[in-house]
Amino acid sequence: MDGQLLSETFVELTDTMVADFDVIDFLHLLTDRSARLLDVSAVGLLLADPRGELRVVAASSEAARLLELLQLEGDQGPCLDCFRSGLPVTSADLSADDRWPQFAVAARLAGFAAVQALPMRLRDQVVGALNLFRDAPGGFDPDDVRVGQALADVATIGLLHERSMRRRDALNEQLQSALNSRVVIEQAKGKLAERLGVDMSEAFIVLRDHARSHNRRLSEVARAFVEGTEAIINPRPRSDAV
Amino acid sequence: MTGNRLGTIWRLVAGQAAVHGAGMSAGDACAAAVAGVRVTGAWLSAGSDREGGHHLMRATDEVSRRLAELQLTLGEGPSLDAFASGGPALASDLADREAGLRWPAFAPAACQAGAAAIFAFPLAVGAIRAGVLGLYRDRPDPLTDPQLGDALLFADTATLLLLNAQADGPPVAESDRRPADFPWHRAEIDQATGMLTEQLGVNITDAFARLRAYAYANDLRLADVAGDIVARRLRLHPGPGPSPDSNA
Repeated sequence: MDGQLLSETFVELTDTMVADFDVIDFLHLLTDRSARLLDVSAVGLLLADPRGELRVVAASSEAARLLELLQLEGDQGPCLDCFRSGLPVTSADLSADDRWPQFAVAARLAGFAAVQALPMRLRDQVVGALNLFRDAPGGFDPDDVRVGQALADVATIGLLHERSMRRRDALNEQLQSALNSRVVIEQAKGKLAERLGVDMSEAFIVLRDHARSHNRRLSEVARAFVEGTEAIINPRPRSDAV
Repeated sequence: MTGNRLGTIWRLVAGQAAVHGAGMSAGDACAAAVAGVRVTGAWLSAGSDREGGHHLMRATDEVSRRLAELQLTLGEGPSLDAFASGGPALASDLADREAGLRWPAFAPAACQAGAAAIFAFPLAVGAIRAGVLGLYRDRPDPLTDPQLGDALLFADTATLLLLNAQADGPPVAESDRRPADFPWHRAEIDQATGMLTEQLGVNITDAFARLRAYAYANDLRLADVAGDIVARRLRLHPGPGPSPDSNA
């Protein structure tokens, strides 16, 4: 594990008091870094919506199969079980696991053989779950699980910290705003994919790189692009595009 | 889970529509939210203009009407914040310090008008904005988690009804649509809507209207049409109505 990157990540995840804190960027940081630090193939994050479901907010890759799999977890799967119990849920070999038949099929199609769901929980409040995927069957390295849970814990404290303790209204405002931003990002991915003739995963990368290189929030760039007030060009013109 | 709650809310809104004997409208969702979320009153403003220019479609009592007007007059308040952020603006106690700092003119004026807690919900689907649903209580009292969930579902219902009305869509009767087909929370529907802005050369609101109209006219599920568009099995072509377009 990259110790330098790990300590940087903890510092960044605790830096939520800054004025321009953005839930979407924050949770993308969590999924990106978890994927890089841990011996896993992909990471996804779902948050609880008071409407009564789990919703996908961030993922380490925007591959369609991964997003579909995460979306499915609103109905069935380790994330939902983890969210309901507030406890970690794991399956070292999904092909030999009969707890979530539909999820297991979708996971195999997406290229995953093992899954670990970690709760985002502070005391009795569970706000969501972090999902780690591996492409080969086998148990997760206990060190990876410990670090993954620690990252999820720090992120949860960052989200709930002060905001909810002081004012529950503010937390709900932020989470709902983040969920709507996630919809804007999907709309922007579609528009960009069509314009550039690329797939959704590539469109997301172009969008994210544009936000990063202009030092802007992903959700702001996505909204401005959908509303037609921001131009985004493809920095890497298609060669192997779909 | 959500399907059942949404079904219940859909029936409450339909019940409200039955009172005046016309098709369901966003105003019915506003009226039904009062009992559904246990608040004192509600209002609904429609409009997609970021600079204001919203019009009050419905207010369930005089205080609600006053709350909507005050925000237009003062240029601040929860409706404007909700519209701008795409998330709700929630103030469980309008007399507390937070509310006073946030809306220095509106908070005291709203208290004087008879409100003690106020909750505003954007009628939005991502970048699509259709208006705001406002709720108030005459005493300070937060929404419980289930009440917040229900308020969001009333806002979702109002959004769909408002967008349908704006798009001159078919009148919505209770039997017309299964709530399970509500267009929310499927990434492919949002992606397909984004793709259609390019294919049709229209804004995001019109793209979403065309997507829904195509599904309706061809008796297809919205999620299935969206899936075909994202997989590039189906393209829609610029042109007026919802007539079926050629397959790609």
